[in-house]
Amino acid sequence: MTLKWVLHWQPNAGSTVNSQILSEVSQCVESINGVKEGRWRATLTFYKPHTREQSMAVDFPRDFLGISLPEQPNKYYFIIRGQRIVLEADSSIQTLMEKLQSYKTRVALHFDGFQYQLGDFQLRVGKVVPTHSENLRGIVMEVEYVPISSVEKARQIMEEFLDIWQEAVSKRSLPGHFMHMEPNFAEYGLTDHYTSQHTAVQYATVMAQLIATVQAVQSVRN
Amino acid sequence: MRPQQPQHQQQRQLEAAPNANPDPAQSGEAPPKQVALAMDRLGDAARLIADIRLGADRLLEALFVAAQPHQSTKPLHLFRKEDASMRQHLQDLRSVGRQLEESGVLNESLRSRSNSWGLHMPLVCPDGAVVAYAWKRQLAGQAGASAVDRTRLALKAFTDQKRRFFPHLDDGLDGQSTESALKKHCGPQVLMGNHQEELSDYKTISDVLLHLEKEVPTLKVFTYERLDWLKRASSLPSSANETSIGTSKEHNFHSSNKLRPGSLSPVATEKISVIELLFPSIFRAIVSLHPAGSIDPDSVAFFSPDEGGSYIHSRGFSVYHVFRRITEHAAMALQYFLGSRAETALHSLLHWICSYQTLFTKVCSKCGRLLLMDRKSALLLPPVYRPYRQFSALKISSTQPNSSAKDTSSDLAQAYHVGCFSEEA
Repeated sequence: MTLKWVLHWQPNAGSTVNSQILSEVSQCVESINGVKEGRWRATLTFYKPHTREQSMAVDFPRDFLGISLPEQPNKYYFIIRGQRIVLEADSSIQTLMEKLQSYKTRVALHFDGFQYQLGDFQLRVGKVVPTHSENLRGIVMEVEYVPISSVEKARQIMEEFLDIWQEAVSKRSLPGHFMHMEPNFAEYGLTDHYTSQHTAVQYATVMAQLIATVQAVQSVRN
Repeated sequence: MRPQQPQHQQQRQLEAAPNANPDPAQSGEAPPKQVALAMDRLGDAARLIADIRLGADRLLEALFVAAQPHQSTKPLHLFRKEDASMRQHLQDLRSVGRQLEESGVLNESLRSRSNSWGLHMPLVCPDGAVVAYAWKRQLAGQAGASAVDRTRLALKAFTDQKRRFFPHLDDGLDGQSTESALKKHCGPQVLMGNHQEELSDYKTISDVLLHLEKEVPTLKVFTYERLDWLKRASSLPSSANETSIGTSKEHNFHSSNKLRPGSLSPVATEKISVIELLFPSIFRAIVSLHPAGSIDPDSVAFFSPDEGGSYIHSRGFSVYHVFRRITEHAAMALQYFLGSRAETALHSLLHWICSYQTLFTKVCSKCGRLLLMDRKSALLLPPVYRPYRQFSALKISSTQPNSSAKDTSSDLAQAYHVGCFSEEA
């Protein structure tokens, strides 16, 4: 599995994300010689426990996520962030979940966008939209360096790429910037060798960040 | 390269060798005469292919010369001349092919057979050498080409290759820069002179590899017989197959010729023809030795440690741009090491390969950055060039980590981007 960093767009205080920013970002990728290849889509689901009484719900973890990734069409990933658990399962487990009805979907989000090739780098820029809605909630970006799979060995390369990328984006004077927050993979029991489970954990971290941002904006408004 | 493709197509057509007994009904001549004619034509084809190959080299040379500054229209004339003669050669080759087809030598059913005339004509010969024109070895001995012809062609090929890979030996072009380079590096050269006796101690593969393992502890070295390596390459997990990577990391493939002190039997050393250098998570380099058991490297290639497949061999190319560039650069380095001191070429080459363990961490010595957009290919690449001229493997073996040793050995701890590299560096 090749190495990937998942970034998210952090809007400046007081501003929100919109599709104009998304198109500017896409143009930015093309300006550093990225070649558009195709579409990509990932789906993330927040689950809530289905209990008879509402009061029992607090005993169950609230941050239970499921995510399907385009590079692993036959797999489905579960993450419980609070307890640092990540699990890779066969995609048929979703059918099982529906039959069990123990956890129901609270919110489902799609990450939808285009994939670009830049030599040995692969970039994906996508918007975050809830299902059945066109409301843009955020922008995520995946940066993948294909020749290496070691998290540590690729760190310098990825940091430099990020510098180059941030420089290119800052030239467009957009109200915000991309952020990379690296989760502590060891806490999830993951090794230095990169896998899709690492990607799933990164997405869970990104979601936590996005939610925190949205909540912060809402509290400022109120 | 475009000129190579028709070459290879024709090569494959001709590999389906002529029928030893062509149907007499197809022509009025007796079988022995037909065979003789077929042989002659195949010899012609061989000569034409050699000419095409040389023409391709000359075209490249013309392009290379044209890339130099202060050139007149001379390279353009060269290019046009070569272009015309290449087209003529290809035309002639096509007509020879048609003649062979008409005489019944080449037809569809024979083309699909890979094994004709009782001769093995794969890319890898039975004795293990990977040869681009395997059939030519057979034909050269049997066809009409005379010894004089063969010598003439060989001499042409050698002079052209020499001009291409050893420009510093060519007095007309590079006399000046060689002098200034010599003045700059007279210090290290003195060091090299003192240590020449030590280098010549490494006469066998086991000497070279044991020394290497001592000097570079993070390196994993494996040796193989030629066909064992092909099996291993095909069984390497590719990065697409995620689930097997975990298991293969623990499972080190133990070939019968794995080099470890005390376990090497004399018989095994004679057959070693592939050396694998693995820096886990960084790269895998494959060096081929020819003849087997010698210390003469004949090709080298770099790959990602996660790549797998039968294309992983010393003449293969990685699917990743970064390793493709390094492989091209390594081919030149190999020629340089062979040309300057052939006895220590393997030793120097392996140590030079080890300098790439910093591929993803060492910044460019010229621009100070790790990634740079390469203009020609519009790609972001790390510094893929490591200088090989005046490269002394012995400086690495110096065990003094103090600052004075670092200064003298700073020459070889250098890395450059493609665009930052200049010959005087």
